[in-house]
Amino acid sequence: MKKALKFVLKLLGKLSLAGLIAFVVTFAIYMTNAENKIIYYVVRPLLNKHYDSQVRDRRI
Amino acid sequence: MKLTDKLIKAVDKKLERFDPLWQAENGVGGLRSRYYDKTGVAKYREWRGVKDTFYDYTQWLYNLMSMGQMVASAPVKCLRGFWEYRWMGSYLGTFMFIDRLFEGYRGYELRIAHMNMHAIVQSLTKKIALVLANDRRFGGGPLTDRMVPMDEVLPPLFMAGFKDLIPIPLQTLPEFIICDIDQHIEPYYIDVAESYGLPADVCSRCAAETGVTIDDAFPIIGKAFLSTNMPCNASESTSMFQRRRVNLPYQPVTMAMIHNEPGAHPYSTQELKNAIAFIEKEYGVKYDWNALFERAKQMNEQNTIELEKWDFFKTPYSALVGIAETLYRLYSWASVNGQEDYFTKNDRKVIAIMRKAYEEKYKPFSGKTRHRAFLWGPSAVYYTDFPTWIQNCWGINIVLNMDSTMGHNMISTTDPEQAIKDLALFSEKAVMRHHAVGGWDNVNAVWEWARNFNCDMVLCNDNVACKGMNGVHALLEEQARDLGFHFIFIEHDLEDSRTVSRQDMRKCVNNYMSVVLGEQPLDPTIVEFDDSAAY
Repeated sequence: MKKALKFVLKLLGKLSLAGLIAFVVTFAIYMTNAENKIIYYVVRPLLNKHYDSQVRDRRI
Repeated sequence: MKLTDKLIKAVDKKLERFDPLWQAENGVGGLRSRYYDKTGVAKYREWRGVKDTFYDYTQWLYNLMSMGQMVASAPVKCLRGFWEYRWMGSYLGTFMFIDRLFEGYRGYELRIAHMNMHAIVQSLTKKIALVLANDRRFGGGPLTDRMVPMDEVLPPLFMAGFKDLIPIPLQTLPEFIICDIDQHIEPYYIDVAESYGLPADVCSRCAAETGVTIDDAFPIIGKAFLSTNMPCNASESTSMFQRRRVNLPYQPVTMAMIHNEPGAHPYSTQELKNAIAFIEKEYGVKYDWNALFERAKQMNEQNTIELEKWDFFKTPYSALVGIAETLYRLYSWASVNGQEDYFTKNDRKVIAIMRKAYEEKYKPFSGKTRHRAFLWGPSAVYYTDFPTWIQNCWGINIVLNMDSTMGHNMISTTDPEQAIKDLALFSEKAVMRHHAVGGWDNVNAVWEWARNFNCDMVLCNDNVACKGMNGVHALLEEQARDLGFHFIFIEHDLEDSRTVSRQDMRKCVNNYMSVVLGEQPLDPTIVEFDDSAAY
């Protein structure tokens, strides 16, 4: 019984810690607007470069 | 007061100098202060106080999860979609788009705005995954032949009678919604169309649709296509390009334009019957009226709630405001059209909050609204956050938009013959058909709407390439003067931000508010700014 309780408490502790870390990381990304900066300055320019190099058959 | 409330209040007081609304009130900055010049990229997210910032964060997480689910549901096809279609890359701007839309929102209006926005995001992400997973360009999928591509200005509710088929508004994903998110996407497609020889003075939306067609950027789905006459002659032209390029058997569902005429309804009813017969023949399925009635019940409930919302809009105590109302109604009506239960459930929750806010005499935007405006005419798709800007800058609350007045008649849920007649009327009053075309009486109805919603101001979108609406410009100006409304014509080029920029649009309002009305802006940092490089 004691062993099971200890296991549950340990698991809860680990889950809480993981939750806290996840919150800190995602909230930091959110507050610093990091995902939008990466998309705007890195991802989209690379994608646009690819789109501009595409060859399209535009004959109708 | 609870201890947590006291604590939050203390933190809010301590951090209030980071709140852009506080900064504007105290002359030390404002909503534009946190942006890098031109790009629309914010250095950090808006501080709205502890509760509202945390709420905004949780909604950001929800939307992020919806996008994660989209990719997880069809990872290879989604990645191929990003690689193949330029418009897919633009969807990466969604988070920036949502941030722009709800700047300055707090309390109840922020909650409702996010509830509505998440409804759109969860629906749209599922739809994108569904279409890409079954796109013939990527080898097709199990549902490819059960999908029915149809013109997005044709309300898909009548298709609910085909319970095993999936109607997909063809232009919504690659052309329309994406222009809301990224102002730079459509100029590319417009250039494709013009380089092919299409004149440069047509409606930019039609030009963009044609460009998407010629660029082979429409996903290929379904066995037959329902096109429509759409609400203007330029649209008819692009419809022809699309059906040639898509190259599927097609049926043009040509709804009556002058829908006030009594003879229009039997004609439109017959058009819908023809469309049903066409789908039955092409897909080898039978129409099921009971399946239609089930979805019509959802649409009727949504419209019943919508009419109750209108009663709140007439007061200063509506917690549903501006773009949170406009964009949601446009998407939930034109694209979802009673087919997704999520929207009915969302409406029930939203109306409950609206009732509560009304009982509390809650005024949105901290009661800073100075004018109540009715927005008329098709809005610039590349400046979706215009209603947010005009409230934050000049205190003009757009209480209702022309497009929100679309078909709100109830559909019979027991009698097939009556149901199809109701659907015809409903479809005649679809996006743009209801007021922007269909005769002078429908255009001129703006004054009655504005008066009924207790507006002192009418904002009229002036699509510079819309030949039909250009003809009524002077007449509307005269009417406004006669009837005593503050009236601003806002020039725009619908989907081409190069012709009339967002700043040019703001200038129309700035000039009227400062020169004619002699008012001071609520936030001087957003009167004039360069967002030409922003999505």
